[in-house]
Amino acid sequence: MTNEEMFKELSDAVITCKNDVVTAAVEKARSEGIPAPEIIEKGLAAGMNEVGIRFERGKLFLPHVMMAAGAMEAGVALLKADMPADSASKKLGVIVNGTVEGDVHDIGKSIVSTMLQSAGFIVHDIGRDVPLQKFIDKIKETNADMVGMSALMTTTLPAQKDVIEMLKELGMRDNIKVMVGGAPATEAWAEKISADCYAENASEAVIKAKELLL
Amino acid sequence: MPIAHVLASGMKGLRTGGDLVARMQFSKNMRLKEAKEYVAKKVGVDVIELTDEHVMREVREELNIGVLTSVTKSAKGIAAKMNIEKVLDIKINSCEKFRDQLP
Amino acid sequence: MANEYFTRMGDGQRIYMTKENIMEDLEAGCADASELGKIPELSGDELDKLAEIVMLPDVFVSVAPGMEVPLTQDGGTIRIDADQGNSGTGIPASRMIGCMMHERAFCQDTIELGHIDYSFKPVKPIISHECQAMEILQQNTIVPLFYGAMPNMGLYYTPDGPYPNPADLMRNFKIKEAQESMENSAEHLIRDMVWIMQKMMSSGTDGVNFDTTAAAGDGDFYATLHAAEILRKEFPEMYIEVGMAGESILGMHGEMEYDGKIIAGLWPHEQAPLVAKAGANVFGPVCNTNTSKSFAWNLGRAVTFTKAAVIQSPIPCHVNMGMGVGGVPMLETPPIDAVTRANKAMVEVAGVDGI
Repeated sequence: MTNEEMFKELSDAVITCKNDVVTAAVEKARSEGIPAPEIIEKGLAAGMNEVGIRFERGKLFLPHVMMAAGAMEAGVALLKADMPADSASKKLGVIVNGTVEGDVHDIGKSIVSTMLQSAGFIVHDIGRDVPLQKFIDKIKETNADMVGMSALMTTTLPAQKDVIEMLKELGMRDNIKVMVGGAPATEAWAEKISADCYAENASEAVIKAKELLL
Repeated sequence: MPIAHVLASGMKGLRTGGDLVARMQFSKNMRLKEAKEYVAKKVGVDVIELTDEHVMREVREELNIGVLTSVTKSAKGIAAKMNIEKVLDIKINSCEKFRDQLP
Repeated sequence: MANEYFTRMGDGQRIYMTKENIMEDLEAGCADASELGKIPELSGDELDKLAEIVMLPDVFVSVAPGMEVPLTQDGGTIRIDADQGNSGTGIPASRMIGCMMHERAFCQDTIELGHIDYSFKPVKPIISHECQAMEILQQNTIVPLFYGAMPNMGLYYTPDGPYPNPADLMRNFKIKEAQESMENSAEHLIRDMVWIMQKMMSSGTDGVNFDTTAAAGDGDFYATLHAAEILRKEFPEMYIEVGMAGESILGMHGEMEYDGKIIAGLWPHEQAPLVAKAGANVFGPVCNTNTSKSFAWNLGRAVTFTKAAVIQSPIPCHVNMGMGVGGVPMLETPPIDAVTRANKAMVEVAGVDGI
């Protein structure tokens, strides 16, 4: 079996959302001598990407996403001993995610958190109606690489700009990527407030986070 | 934005016959064509006249089913709706509740 | 140089496109909908018609005489006075004034009473106030007057409600517990919606508008279908409208069923028969606007989805055309040129029964 075929098998295994199928595929890949980082990146992570796309297209649902993520973690656990010393438990990055103050919408933001977590990021979901200072405090506490802010009302949308201004005033802006989202947010809005990116949906949030942090 | 939609394609409610067609969609699950044909037949006009102010103003006055402007003595509220019930051969909940309160 | 036509992006930005680009985007949007929903693409003639509509030179476009359709409302009457985070105009006016203005000044075919926190759960403590408002409004209006609210099942999760937040449980891999929470929330929501609408029916409402159904996913849709079913049995003459929140049912639970079908992942043409089965009279399909794509792309997509829903639906379809849906750009004040073009397209190509 070629490496490409093995990567496809690994990816397909993740899409089944079954622990035993994934672990069996990982063992097979190991036995064929494929390096652990490649098994993860080109096989398992590729499968999670596809899970995210299928979730967005309505073919898979949130429990599937979590089961796939769980299965992937089981697969990654098998490879722990094979990983280079400094990457044993490396995650892709740390993200603080929340809905801005005054806005109690939760569902979309929670799905983004779930998808980012299942893609391999460490996610600190700080909830909804989050006081702006709390975004700053959590970023400092977790040494976050990115902050995600959701707003679903035009009246709360400006808070995304306010947080960016706070980051600038504190001299933190250059060390953190900012992603914005939510129904009234747009690409043009993100540019206007100097956010690093705008995500239309949860899958896009994962893609953009990877683009910015990897 | 509602005004834009009304002007672009709305049947314009009390101004013509839009509320009547809407009632048939809701009370009898009629699709658009069927609802328009039903109402047109009941009020005695052609389908295309259902959205013609020149025709429907007079129709509404004659049937006393409510007109857009607040003409004194023309039926409004429950009275207009009770007349609509008779014209369209349907039951309207607020009229039922009104009747329940009468001795 | 090819002629360029004034048009918009999905976020309302003004752009100029050639006819070829417009056609490409219409076809691409149409193909996207077709692939997602496994539904037929629009015909060549239909795409040409859409292109004609997009390329019209006027600010405001409309349908031909005789093509008009009834319009139903989603919460509009409360926007005169109030704001719930978007769309309110802030003119001090009672809900009575809002309703009568919509009936007599704006010529709406139907109107709706709703309250400012436009969800069902917050209605319970203020039910007397809503009943009073409905009684007095029914005395003063003629067009069909609904009571409208959003099922908004998210309000039943902590911290707003009694059941654990399923998204938090999911992130901790407690999938069964998350599903149980959604099931319990759905049962509670059904009970509340039925109770509220029983009170409103006794106050004379013509019926109910379940607005933005499935905003919280498949559990939200499940609850609405069951509430509609119960209400239909008790009130055979009640007007019931079910309007959706999004084009596809978000699979938060993934295994909830109605009429033997898994409801997660359903597209508009698949939602319509279930809504009809539950006893609703009118179905409001939604297609979400992508703000990064052109108006043409969004229009092709929205019309393709909507047309399929109109064909599959046993009941009238009133397509949702508020901001960000039905091809309308996502902007609090959507450009009228785009609004009316989308409107005309939905009537003349998708063949909707109303808007």
